[in-house]
Parts: sequence; C-alpha cells; structure tokens
Amino acid sequence: MSGQPPINNKVVEVLVKSVLSKNGVKADEVKRSIPEEQKKMLREMVEDLKRQVEEFQQSQKEENSE
Amino acid sequence: MSKTKEWRALDYCEDNRGGSQAIVEQDAEQTNITKQLSEEWIIIKDSECVNVETTDTQVALSLQIGIEAALAIVLRLAIADDNQVEDILQDFKQISKTNQSNRQKTIVEKSKYVDIVTVDTDIAVHLQILIQLLLGVIATLDIL
Repeated sequence: MSGQPPINNKVVEVLVKSVLSKNGVKADEVKRSIPEEQKKMLREMVEDLKRQVEEFQQSQKEENSE
Repeated sequence: MSKTKEWRALDYCEDNRGGSQAIVEQDAEQTNITKQLSEEWIIIKDSECVNVETTDTQVALSLQIGIEAALAIVLRLAIADDNQVEDILQDFKQISKTNQSNRQKTIVEKSKYVDIVTVDTDIAVHLQILIQLLLGVIATLDIL
C-alpha cells in the first residue's frame, strides 16, 4: 500500500453526498452551531484516529518488508 | 524397491529449547487451526518449531471501532434526527463492508523450523476506507 487511498477522494465525496441526500439530509438543516470547544474536540479526535491508522499501515509495511 | 520413510514431526521430537512449550498430542491427524476475523487460516500439521507472525487484528479491530464511533458522534452532532443518523450509519456500514472479503490459507505440513509472516492488507484497506468516509462526512457537512 502506497500513499494512494483505496478509494479515490472524489468518489468518496460523491458517495457521502449521495448517502446523505438519500437519507434526506439537507445542508441548511445541518446544525452549524456546534460550540467551538466541541469542534476542537472533534478535530483532535479525527487527527488522533488518522495518526493511528497511519501508524498501523506503517507497522504492516515494516512487517511485510522484514 | 523400498520407499524412504518420510519425515514426520510426531515420530520424534527434536525441539530442545529447554522444556516443552506445547502439549504434544500423539495423534498424527491432529490439526491446529487458527481462524482470524478476516478469514485467515493458518493450518499447522505434523510439524515442529513453527513461528507464526500475523496481522495484529486486535489493534485493527479497536481502531475500526474507534472510527465507527467517531462517525456516529459526528453525525449525531450534525443531524438532529436520531433515526436519520441510524439509517445513514447503516448505509455507510454497507459501503465499507463490501470491501471485506479476504481469504488466505497457509498450510504447513510435515515441516520444521518454519517462519510464517502473513499480512492482511484488506484489514488495512478497510481502516483507510473508514477514515476516508469519516473525513468525507466532515468535509461534506462542513462542520469543523
């Protein structure tokens, strides 16, 4: 696995949009008033998960090349 | 013409690493089967000193649960209707599930001093798809 994501990012975008619209989510109904403190927590959570996935991929790669 | 008797681990044991580490069953047909979540089979039969290294599925699994929980949190914060959130999560689960069908089979028979290293690329791909979905939802809903 190289740095290339398994699904093209554009495809993911279309996929996510279609799932949301299929379930009747309208952009103007989405709560945009999430408090800044919560946003910060969400950002940290996502960054943390991203890092863990990268670390996992890295450890797999190292195991593979041994 | 006499046939050379083939080597079998259960006929004798040369494992002299100080004390027995495993219970030796005196049954030649006994098979040791390890099955992992992603349909990975490692069958070791009539062998000794076999070292197995495989994907750490526990790490992958806890990461998977973490990302799925994060997806649920983000959707619940952004969308007021809980039923709607459940339906969306179901749809995402289906998308990521179709990519999971990995079947590896490794068979070691009548051998000794074997090192097996297997890598489950599918579980790594699955994790990346999940994180891509999470990032995609955050970008589409534009909540951060």
